[in-house]
Amino acid sequence: MLPKPLQRRQWAAGMSDGDAANERTRLLVNPVSNTPNIPTAHSDDYVNPYANPVPKKTDEQSALNRILQETAANVIDVGALDSHNLEQHEYMDRSKAYAKRIEVIGVQIPDHPPCLLKDIPAPERVLAGEGLPQQDREMVTDMMNSAVTALSEIQVEHKEDLVVPFLS
Amino acid sequence: MERNLEKTMDNVTNVEGVIGCILADRQGLCLGAKGSASGQSAGLIAAIADEVAKLEPESNAPIIALESDNRQCIIQRQGPIVGAIYKAISP
Repeated sequence: MLPKPLQRRQWAAGMSDGDAANERTRLLVNPVSNTPNIPTAHSDDYVNPYANPVPKKTDEQSALNRILQETAANVIDVGALDSHNLEQHEYMDRSKAYAKRIEVIGVQIPDHPPCLLKDIPAPERVLAGEGLPQQDREMVTDMMNSAVTALSEIQVEHKEDLVVPFLS
Repeated sequence: MERNLEKTMDNVTNVEGVIGCILADRQGLCLGAKGSASGQSAGLIAAIADEVAKLEPESNAPIIALESDNRQCIIQRQGPIVGAIYKAISP
């Protein structure tokens, strides 16, 4: 939107040309061609909305980029310091070097005890599989029942005399 | 004395496919082991039964089945005893 004083001037210029002034008439008269402004005004009108914002946008973009660069220059990104990709052999070299250092110092790294259970690659296959067969369940339950009974029946059996003749 | 306990374990070990069994008390003390079961695993078995029972405290004692490629270990606790049966499974 044009500022108001300009609009008024435009209206005056339009009147002097003898054309009906409207919001589409040009603000400044083309110095090269003195032809009536209406057609060029129309074509300009068509171009302007697109032509004008583009440089504006790049200005904004470059300003933003500048701010970004300035900020990046002032920030130490610790995470990105060591971000270059390590090759496989680099890993090996480093692990060897570290192992040597540890050997030199003589530090004992505690070994993790092997786990009783371990992960399996596709748990859903096992989880969706059939449960324990009825036969096995009965077997273990029967064993436990008879074991509980047997345990409750445990008692000391008298086999030989507790008091034995000594030096008879 | 513990004759019945021994008999119970013998009966189970004689079942086809069973390669061993073990009985332990709730603290993990081995009461007896037959077949390929080692008395040293009594503590582990009691601990596993204990931990698994915590998953659903409201339910009855669960039957736990541990499986490897060729063996299966079925664990259950009942009252004062934890028992485990080792089975060979065909792949």
